[in-house]
Amino acid sequence: MKVRANTAIGGSLMALVLGAAVTAAFWTPFDPLRVNLRARLQPPSSLYWLGTDEFGRDVLSRVMAGAATSVVVALLTVALAIAVGVMVGVVTGYLRGWTDRVIMAVNDALLAFPGILLALAVMIVVGANKFGLVLALGLAYIPSVARVVRGTVLSIREKEYIEASRVIGNSEVYSMLRHVLPNAVAPVAVLATSMFGWVLLAESALSFLGLGVPPPAPTWGNMLAASRPYMESAVWLGMAPGLCIALTLLGINLLGDSLRDRLDPRMAHG
Amino acid sequence: MLGYLARRLAMTVPTLLLVAIAVFTLVRLIPGDPVQVMLGDAAEPAQVAQMRAQLGLDQPIPLQFVHWLAKLLTGDFGHSITDNLAVLPLILERFQVSAIIVLVAVGLAACVAVPAGLVAAWRQNSALDLAVVGSATLLLSIPSFWLGLLLLLLFGLKLKWLPVIGYVPFSENFWQAMVFMVLPIATLTMIEIGVLTRMARAASIEVLRLEYVTHARAKGVPEWLVLGRHVLPNAFAPTWTLIGLVLGHLLGGIAVIETVFTLPGLGRLLVDSIFARDYPVVQGCLLFTAVIYVVVNLIVDLCYPLFDPRVTLA
Amino acid sequence: MLMRRPSGAVVVGLTLACLAVMPTCATAETVLRTRLNADIRSTDPGTNRDANTDGVVAHMVEGLVAFREDTSIGPMLAESWNVSNDGKTYTFHLRKGVKFHNGATMTAEDVVWSLKRWLDPATQWRCLSEFGPSGIARIERIEAPDPQTVAVTLDQPTALFLPTLARPDCGQTAIIHRDSVGPDGKWIAPVGTGPFKLGEWKRGQYIDVARFDNYASRNGPRSGYAGAKTAEVDRVRFNVIPDSSAAKAGLLSGSLDAISALGVPDLEDLKSRPEVQISVTPALGLTGILFQTRDPLLKDVRIRRAIALCLDTAQIADVVMQGTARANNSALPIGSPFYGEVQAHGYTQNIAEAKKLLVEAGYRGQPIKMIANKRYGFVFDSAVLVQAMAQALGINIEIEVLDWATQLDRYNRGDYQAMAFVYSARLDPSLSFEMLTGPKATQPRKVWDNPEVQEMLRQSMMTDDTAKRQALFDEMHRRFIKDVPMIVLFNGAELAALRKNIKGYAGWLYPQPRFWGVSVQ
Repeated sequence: MKVRANTAIGGSLMALVLGAAVTAAFWTPFDPLRVNLRARLQPPSSLYWLGTDEFGRDVLSRVMAGAATSVVVALLTVALAIAVGVMVGVVTGYLRGWTDRVIMAVNDALLAFPGILLALAVMIVVGANKFGLVLALGLAYIPSVARVVRGTVLSIREKEYIEASRVIGNSEVYSMLRHVLPNAVAPVAVLATSMFGWVLLAESALSFLGLGVPPPAPTWGNMLAASRPYMESAVWLGMAPGLCIALTLLGINLLGDSLRDRLDPRMAHG
Repeated sequence: MLGYLARRLAMTVPTLLLVAIAVFTLVRLIPGDPVQVMLGDAAEPAQVAQMRAQLGLDQPIPLQFVHWLAKLLTGDFGHSITDNLAVLPLILERFQVSAIIVLVAVGLAACVAVPAGLVAAWRQNSALDLAVVGSATLLLSIPSFWLGLLLLLLFGLKLKWLPVIGYVPFSENFWQAMVFMVLPIATLTMIEIGVLTRMARAASIEVLRLEYVTHARAKGVPEWLVLGRHVLPNAFAPTWTLIGLVLGHLLGGIAVIETVFTLPGLGRLLVDSIFARDYPVVQGCLLFTAVIYVVVNLIVDLCYPLFDPRVTLA
Repeated sequence: MLMRRPSGAVVVGLTLACLAVMPTCATAETVLRTRLNADIRSTDPGTNRDANTDGVVAHMVEGLVAFREDTSIGPMLAESWNVSNDGKTYTFHLRKGVKFHNGATMTAEDVVWSLKRWLDPATQWRCLSEFGPSGIARIERIEAPDPQTVAVTLDQPTALFLPTLARPDCGQTAIIHRDSVGPDGKWIAPVGTGPFKLGEWKRGQYIDVARFDNYASRNGPRSGYAGAKTAEVDRVRFNVIPDSSAAKAGLLSGSLDAISALGVPDLEDLKSRPEVQISVTPALGLTGILFQTRDPLLKDVRIRRAIALCLDTAQIADVVMQGTARANNSALPIGSPFYGEVQAHGYTQNIAEAKKLLVEAGYRGQPIKMIANKRYGFVFDSAVLVQAMAQALGINIEIEVLDWATQLDRYNRGDYQAMAFVYSARLDPSLSFEMLTGPKATQPRKVWDNPEVQEMLRQSMMTDDTAKRQALFDEMHRRFIKDVPMIVLFNGAELAALRKNIKGYAGWLYPQPRFWGVSVQ
């Protein structure tokens, strides 16, 4: 199989983001937290490549440092939501019956809360920090994953090869693992990549509504939210984190697509 | 079908009860209380105690829950602590605003997103595909508070086509109301196009690989017919589930968009009430959105067999 | 586009309506449109209220006395008053010909009824506790010897009686007509004596106040909440707009005429716009860093002092408020008549001294958690700058962002190491200290527990003698700087942006907009 353009573009974008995050751990052009009141709101220049913010902090350094925080938060949240959500979705979708009903009742109860507002409330309870953010957003997304996975499982389990597997005497658990799970990968991969974007944005929405990851850690989300009053006078403040989010998303989507193609059992002979 | 409906409705009862318990617990877990918010930085302890007693907040929490639930069963959602309005009419009034924006925006978004996703999937890995995926991702990655403000500055301030602030209820003047709704709807539509396009594309890719598509093509069925008759309906099924999820969630409030465009919607009511610790309103709003959500998803599930005949509503 | 132009039918209809009622249509109604960042809580003065509520309600109701521009007390509905020799009885002589919004003339009976209503616990008046056991004095008697005179007798003399009556957060102890409440005592709407009366209130959208044509204005210039009040516009509409960027766009597009309580970033942007004028007034709020003096680490005054000495407060004030406010380390606001030479002496940045204190205290980089919130941008920005300046000295401050209600809860329980906080305006110097000092055992919210100071505070509340009070406040200030229970950074500023065609607007020390004496050209 030849390496497609999509995979190459996606791969390089993600490599760039991860590279920036790793580099930031060792080196940034300036200290991302260093306040310099004599250089407030400087436009991009040869000294400050991406300009400075309202406290005179270097935007490039903050974007780099923010990459680490934002990507880690997003990855952890997606991992939490996918791990729990897939488990719940597959189990309920495959078993049906009372197990399904009870678990889906709980799931629907959770799902019924508007995600961002549930996250807002959870953040107030557990505190506005990275851990709280992962928990709050993860909890908000678990039920969506469960429901989408369950929907997929519901339609897959009617397919002939599952029937066949059952007819030849394979156990429920085996059938589930062997056939259902791989088929659920595709929709989950799409959901996971979308979710990655939601998390990056949900964080900025929470910042906009008044809560988010507080300093000293800059994140793309809180940089974006903080730049809003300066939208007209200092547009670079929002452009930098905004473009970072967009490019990261594009990268992860393209990679997600090719990942799905590889994992999808029907592609092996396609 | 009717049996299924009855069973599903019966199942919503425990869900809603769970929601009620969860809502109540969550709200009481949040630190701070409405009396402190009202009194600000000059709260005499005696005064706080007296006002808490007047609001019934000094009673044990399980007792408060029972009181709330008992009233709820008679249809009484209680009164707002902030401005003493009855909660249910308040919610219904605010819901109209959110619902119109959400329904129109998601409908419009689906009309654009499903064909776009289909076309992208059809020409997977082409430049066209990359363009569609790229634009969808870009739309997906702009926060609504940025996009909203951008549109506001462009159409409201620079071009002066549309009003910047204000709101007219639909019941008063439909066309005037629409004028205020254009920008919020446009903002939400653009964002939802991003979400739905990607889902529709993924679903279409799945379907395009199925044997009957290859079969149909081999038989010489024209390509447009293959896409229109075989791929589209099948690809729509998973997208439909997602639309259900999206609708259910959005109807619970588009707090950010309502804030940017100064609309008195449900989402803003909920955010304001959370920050003000207006317990009855927070509880009422969350329970109400849960009911809406359950209803929307019930409808989605009932429609499922229409797209995928293999699923039966047993 | 097609909806912006009124249809022909509407135009014809309007023309016919104008022909029918010529006088009212001849001059179009003038409306001043302004912004609130959140809806008001009620129209009931001093009960279910917050700052926005106080600001709107002040257009509709008035009390016997009111704060002047310089925070002294001036007459409002009372023409004058005498205080008995023992300082306990206040006799108010009412102004003649004052009309309520329903047309009734105000008499002593209305005053007595209003005062008694405020003192009834069922009313839930915010300031009731000031006249209770822990308050400034108890009210023993309220009498009306004749229709133009009201006498109020207290159980002990206090300098704070009139300032308390005039407090905006007490609803200025408004004199209202009894039609304001229903037969069951429940609040309906304010039937007051103010220059505006209540118009339409659409919850979550706007509240209108309309000109009261029979308003009897005082003579003399407009001064604070006292003096002349003339409504020069027919209606003031307070639009509820939570998002400040949307409000800014509203002003620039002409959908709004005035924005008060402007954020500093918006101010910078609006300054350069030709269609906008800016009003900057020093205000009485107080922004600073609170310390928990019972904290194991921060109970050491040397550490608190070191933090104070490592700050360049002038620079913090300058950057955070963009030149609209001056640094101030005193508990008394710069605008207070009691703010003098002594109060101007605060902390001077001294890195060497701060380092020495840290070494003496044995500080080795232990983290200090500082609570901040994003509701008030200037408080959050101050926290960031304090953190950065302290970091330069190796003081490790971690900022924890909470929502305002949670922070208030922590504040009220004294449950914090440090917090960036803003106190609302206190219009009397005794009250400025009263909000800070008190026994932590019974009032955990008080940041400064110093019994000697509390005694001085008590004395300052008992006397009317300005020189004596000044001496007490000077001494309290010296102790405040020495004890460092908190670091006051600056007093706020009332920032407003108005379109150029708005005339006569002026802010004052109390950070709420006034729209009497303001006209639309």
